[in-house]
Formats: sequence, C-alpha cells, structure tokens
Amino acid sequence: MSQPSKVSEPDVVVIGGGLVGGAVAFGLARSGARVCVLDEGDVAFRASRGNFALVWVQSKGLGMPEYAGWSKRSADDWHQLAAILREETGIDVAHSQPGGFALCLSDAEMQQRVDAMKRLHNQINMVEYGYEVLDHAETKRRLPDIGPDVVGSIYSPVDGHVNSLRLFRALHEGLQRRGADYRPNHPVDTITPENGGFRVVGPWGEIRAPKVVLAAGLGNARLAPMVGLYAPVKPSKGQVIVTEKTAPFLHHPMGTLRQTDEGGVMIGDSQEDLGFDTVVTQPVISIMAERAVRMFPRLAGLNVVRTWSALRVMSPDGFPIYEQSTTHPGAFVTTCHSGVTLAANHALTIAPAIQAGALPEFVATFNSRRFHVPAHA
Amino acid sequence: MNRVTDVSALKEQYDLVVVGAGPAGLSAAATAAELGLSVLLADENPAPGGQIYRAVTTTPVQRREVLGEDYWRGQPIVQRFERSAADYAARTTVWTVGRTELMSGGEGFEVGVSADGQARLIDARHVILATGALERPMPIPGWTLPGVMTAGAAQIALKSAGIVPDGRVVLAGCGPLLYLLASQLQSAGANIVAVLDTTERGNALAAAGALPDFLLSPYLAKGLKLMLAARRKLRFVGGVTGLRAEGEGRVKQVVVERGSARETIACDMLLLHQGVIPNVNMTSAVGCEQVWDEQGHCWAPKLDAWFGASVPGISIAGDGAGIGGAESAALRGEVAALEAARRVGRIDEADRDRRAASVRATLARAMRGRRFLDVLYRPAKAFLAPKDAATVVCRCEEVTAGQLRETTRKLGVQGPNQMKTFLRCGMGPCQGRLCGPTVTEIIAEERGVAPAEVGYYRLRPPVKPVTLGELANLPKTEAAVKAVCR
Repeated sequence: MSQPSKVSEPDVVVIGGGLVGGAVAFGLARSGARVCVLDEGDVAFRASRGNFALVWVQSKGLGMPEYAGWSKRSADDWHQLAAILREETGIDVAHSQPGGFALCLSDAEMQQRVDAMKRLHNQINMVEYGYEVLDHAETKRRLPDIGPDVVGSIYSPVDGHVNSLRLFRALHEGLQRRGADYRPNHPVDTITPENGGFRVVGPWGEIRAPKVVLAAGLGNARLAPMVGLYAPVKPSKGQVIVTEKTAPFLHHPMGTLRQTDEGGVMIGDSQEDLGFDTVVTQPVISIMAERAVRMFPRLAGLNVVRTWSALRVMSPDGFPIYEQSTTHPGAFVTTCHSGVTLAANHALTIAPAIQAGALPEFVATFNSRRFHVPAHA
Repeated sequence: MNRVTDVSALKEQYDLVVVGAGPAGLSAAATAAELGLSVLLADENPAPGGQIYRAVTTTPVQRREVLGEDYWRGQPIVQRFERSAADYAARTTVWTVGRTELMSGGEGFEVGVSADGQARLIDARHVILATGALERPMPIPGWTLPGVMTAGAAQIALKSAGIVPDGRVVLAGCGPLLYLLASQLQSAGANIVAVLDTTERGNALAAAGALPDFLLSPYLAKGLKLMLAARRKLRFVGGVTGLRAEGEGRVKQVVVERGSARETIACDMLLLHQGVIPNVNMTSAVGCEQVWDEQGHCWAPKLDAWFGASVPGISIAGDGAGIGGAESAALRGEVAALEAARRVGRIDEADRDRRAASVRATLARAMRGRRFLDVLYRPAKAFLAPKDAATVVCRCEEVTAGQLRETTRKLGVQGPNQMKTFLRCGMGPCQGRLCGPTVTEIIAEERGVAPAEVGYYRLRPPVKPVTLGELANLPKTEAAVKAVCR
C-alpha cells in the first residue's frame, strides 16, 4: 500500500504528524523548505487527539523560568498563528485568550497555589506578566456560575484556549496547501547519518534528506540516539471527560475545565505515571467529575458523552527539549507536552531556525545536556 | 427472577453480569442461574424481550397473526428466565465495563450501571454482553427529513405501543426484516403504497452456491411465506439503483431510480432498512478486538468457540457476536453461560462439554442458510457509500459524504479515528452508531482499499448516557485523589 510521493528529494524530513510535527512542518513549508512528513496510521498513541486545548502560561516554569518566558512568547504569538491559519486554510481555530482561572476548592489548595505562584515569580530571569489572587466574592463576580465550595482563584490575563482538533486539521490543511508531502502509515525503524545527510528507513522503504526533525512524541526516546541526540521522554497518563453540548456559560478557560466553542464542557486533567496504559479508570473520573460539579454545580445534570485517556510526552523535569545534534548536524529534536500552547513557537520560531540551520541562543536552556548530571548529585 | 428496581439494592458482586434482555441475554442468565451462579441481568427496556421479542409479555397487539408466530416464540424464553433465581434490573443502562481487581480477590470487571439518575459500580467475575444488533445505516439524500425513519423504529412502535403509521407508507431497502415488517404493518392495517427493493440483481447468482444449504434451513419456509404474502398484496418494485427523499420540512415523495428510469412516488412516511449488523459499541469500549466479517459485510468481535472475546472473562452472545437471528441467539446465550459457569468453577470442563453438545447441534441447524441470506441481501455499494456529496452521513455533527471524501483524499486520512479528529464525525450523542459503517465504507472507497484495512472507531465509555453528577457520586480512591489534586 504505497502512497504517491510528491517529493523524492525533500530538504527536510519531519518524523511525526501530530501537533508538534505538524506545526514545525507547517513553519518549515512557510519558510520555503520542501518538507516530507512521515506519520503513523489511524491508531497510534496520539497526544494530539487527546489533549486539553489550553494556551496556558500561569503556573508554568517553576524550576526553569525560561520555560515561563517560552510559554508566554508562544501565547503572545498565538494571535499571529491563528491569523495565518485562517488566511492560509480558511479554518478558524477558535483561538481566544480572555484570561484563565485556577479555581481552588479549599483553603489549603488556595494557599498552595498562592505560594507556588510567589515562588514562580520570585525566580531570577522570570518573565513579567500580571496575575491576581481573587477571593470567593471576586471570583463569583467574574464567574457567576461558581459554587459555594470555590474558596478563591488565581487569574492570569494571558491564558486562553483554542479548538485543538481544528488546529490539528488546519496545520494539515496548511501543509497540503504549501505542497508538503504527507505520508501516513509510514512508521520509522531507523535513521542513519550518511554523506552529511540522513537516510530514514521503515517497512515502506526509505527516504533521504539533508535534515531530519524528530517530532515523534514518545517515539523520540527511541529515535534520538540514532542521530546523536537524547530525548528520555516517558508517558504520563491524563484522563479527560467531555459532556454533551450546552448553551455557552463559561467564557474563560480554567486550568482543569473549559467550555469549548462547540458547547461541550471538557474536564481534565489527571496525571499518572503508568507507562503505556490508556485505560479510563472510574475512581479518577469520579474525582474529576466531583470537583467539576463543586466548581460549577450547573454541570451536574449534563450527560457525559465520552471519557478518554491519553499520554503526555514527559521529559524527566517536565520541560521541553529542543536541540540540534552536535555529532550529526542537521538532525533536530523537538519534544514537549504542550503542543497546543507552544504551537506558535514551533511554527514561527523553531521552524525558521531549523530552516536557517541553527536554533536560537535563547532556547539553549532546553538542551538535553541538563539531564547529564551524575546520578548521585 | 428477582426484580431489582433500585441500583442500591443490587449485590456488591455477581458471578455473572449479563447485559441485554433479548433472547441471548435471557437464555444466558437463566442457564447460569440454573447452574447456581449469582446472576444479574441488566437491560434498558421496561420489559424483557430485547428488540426481536420486544414487549412480548406486555404488547397491546394481541391478534397473534399481526406480529407472526415467530414473535410469540419469545414467550417461553422469557418464562424460563422468570422461573430462574437471577436478579433482573429493568430500565437500567450499563454505561461501562472495565477490568478491575475484585474486592473479593482475583481479576474481574467493574460494571457501571445507572437507573433513575443513580449510578453504581458492581463487581462481576464474568460478563456476557448480549447487546444485539442495530440496523445498518442507509444514508440516502433526504434521509434526515422528518417522516423518514428506519424500519426497525417503526417495528418498535408497533410492538410496544401498537402504533401503525398514518398515511401512505413506502418501505425501501433490502433484507428479510424489510419483508417481515411490510407484512406485519400490512396486517396491522397500514397503507403501504410500495416496497422498493434495492437488492442487486447479481446477488442472486452469487448466492446460488449457498442455495443447497439454504434449502435445508428453517429460513426457507418462513422466508418464502413472508415474501410471497407480501408480494401478493403489495406493490413491489425491484432493481432499485437510486433513492432520494424529498419534501419541505417533511418527506412528501420519494424519487426512485431503476437504471435510467425514474419514478416519483408520493408518500407520508418512508421506512428504510438494509439489514442488521452487530452492535459493537460496548464490546469495543471494553477493549475487545474486532474483526471484519466479510460474509456479513460488517465488524464483529473476535470470538473463540465459546463466544469468549479477546478480553478473558468477556463473552458475547446473540446477534452482537455476528448476525444469526433470534433462535440462534438464545442457543449462543446458553453456550456462553456454560463456559461462564466453568470459569467461575460451578461445573468442570467435561460437564460443560456434555451440556453444550446438544445445544451446539441445534445451533448448527439454526445457523444453516445464513450465508445464502447474507450474500443475497448484501447491500449495494451505492447505498453503503453515498455518491451524492450533500448527503449527510454523521447526523449528530452534520458531516456530509462530500466532506468525508474530500478530507480522505486531500489530507491523506487513513481511518475513522483520524477522520473524527478532523471532522468531528462520530463524536455526537449516538457515538457513531449511525455513521460508523458509512464512514469506514467511504474512506475505503476513496483510498481504494478494503474496509477491513480502514478499521472502525475506537469507542470510549460511557457507552450509554450518564450524568456528570452521577459520576461525581461514585466511590473514589486515595490513588485517584493524588492523580487529580496536584
């Protein structure tokens, strides 16, 4: 079952056609590169199909302030990405950044969040953005539907959300319109550096290119060492609930709850380290449901349409990895667990840099060398 | 039988939970209970019988000839179940079945049930899914107009409430059930103006090979009688190659194509039907492997000789295991229950085999002739994958055949799961029941591969609606709290 190949000699092969690979490939195509995207088939561990669709900045970057700045940069550039996608594909990805809330259901939770935000913003080199700590009354004034159990919230004006499924489609539509060569059912077995370029081999055959970008999510852990890179990513399971559609009542995203532009309410986001296990477990779903109903009691009567679990792509410290191979220049790795938030960076910053041949100095922090410390240190 | 009306009155754990009270579920539950297993039969309807014997104990239609002798065969099956010691939860939905460690030790399942707005998780050592069949969607232009419905839906109204459609009725499609309903509705006094048969002419030739087997089957007498009765009294139009329902706000007429000939038939109701296929929603959500059934042209769960699925401890009986009809459904329920009894230690292997031997012999006779029917009534391509671009395929999210074809071609979509991501088809309240087969068929046609290669939707719990409030009230664990409250 061979796919028609449009580009026999691409400038760059992107391995992975999810949100990360899609955004990088779209950016590369916009930069003038001849791009070939190798993707898996209909059934795969696809974080892009299971994600929560937030463009989220608050609370990110404790332990690595550069990550806060990187997230903020992408949130700022998201307006531009949404406009580009609309213009090039005609698809409105329902991007909006009206500011987001983290709702707290106990004083202890509230205190924990406030402390974390203080520590986050006390870091040296921390990017500046405002946030507010709100009590129940003020939260209620801004979100009239909250329940009595909400003791307060943290509000940050930079947070937002998109329709991530439409983003996924828009990136593929954009790739197609830019003439990229998208090849589904093309899993990759090996990458071999050869004559200053790379030979990528799978059961379908092989393809050569001067550059290769690893954007294969959890697959990056296996592929990276083949080109002198290191991406020790592991799955982190997240479970999500989505309800039937209901009239719009919630115009801001919460960290764990949002109403989509189509009307359904999404509830997330649990985190468990259980390997490649994607079974939905009732106790976790039940707690997520209970917390959602305490946040917004009106949700209790809504039917649940679907629950699912998906695997986040987690590095050891939870931060992204962007790196060009020093032993085999031309090979790049991009990996993160926030493919939606960071989509603007991937399309508008990382991709042009790859096309130019060098990643910008300010992403050097995200180099995998940070993991090479003695185990006993 | 012990009727349980409140989910809080159910036991913590059963040896066997059976889902669905059609012939397969009723026989499975009765067989297992007679062997001493603790059994719960959960069903969403108010009375036992499933679809085929729907309301057999409560129907207002008392003239036996209207629904036919076959219908009344459901009575002894229900009566046997009623004499058993099984618990019976009517008007109860099963919205999830998941593997779990049992409180009592060992591997088993947690079964999520819901009734009257209250949900609960019940432990089961073994689960038999007898969730039956559903009608294969028949997406023609205009099928979303009010006044167009499935033949099965009309039959439900007749059986459970004695409702006969008003005005001029047209039936269209293919398969034995279409003729059965035509004759039932006619006996009940409906004004049937035409029966439009979409069976392809070539099918008869293809089915000829299976004819000798069919001639020995119980279908023969039954089928011929039905067909002849219907043909004698009704206007039959064969060789139909195209259909279109038309009307402003409601169906007013149906445009019929037979090759190059066209005819318009005025009607007040159009009933569509092109066969039944296994309902795979629950089996798929539990994680059971599905295989493409070439003969039935549908997906069906992969099963062993005891109707055990790829997930150990889950069995599938009845038409959900592959279409076999009511008689074989009841027999398959017995076979599956015997294996469940062995698994939980009530009978040994030799005992199971001895008891199963005679059931299997009867089952083989009941399944005779099935191949002939499957081949003869295989739906025509034009009605499986509509060519008309504007025809709606996914009714919940209003996705058209044209969008599906274009997205497959342009974006290189390989299967229904990626399609769902791109177009939202199958994401609505029906969970793909009404569009799944068509979506697979269209992708297969556009890619030029077999439906088997395209695959089917990966389905997710809840399989039946349950509210967020109900989920919020279920038991929680310490580990779960840690996973959510970070």
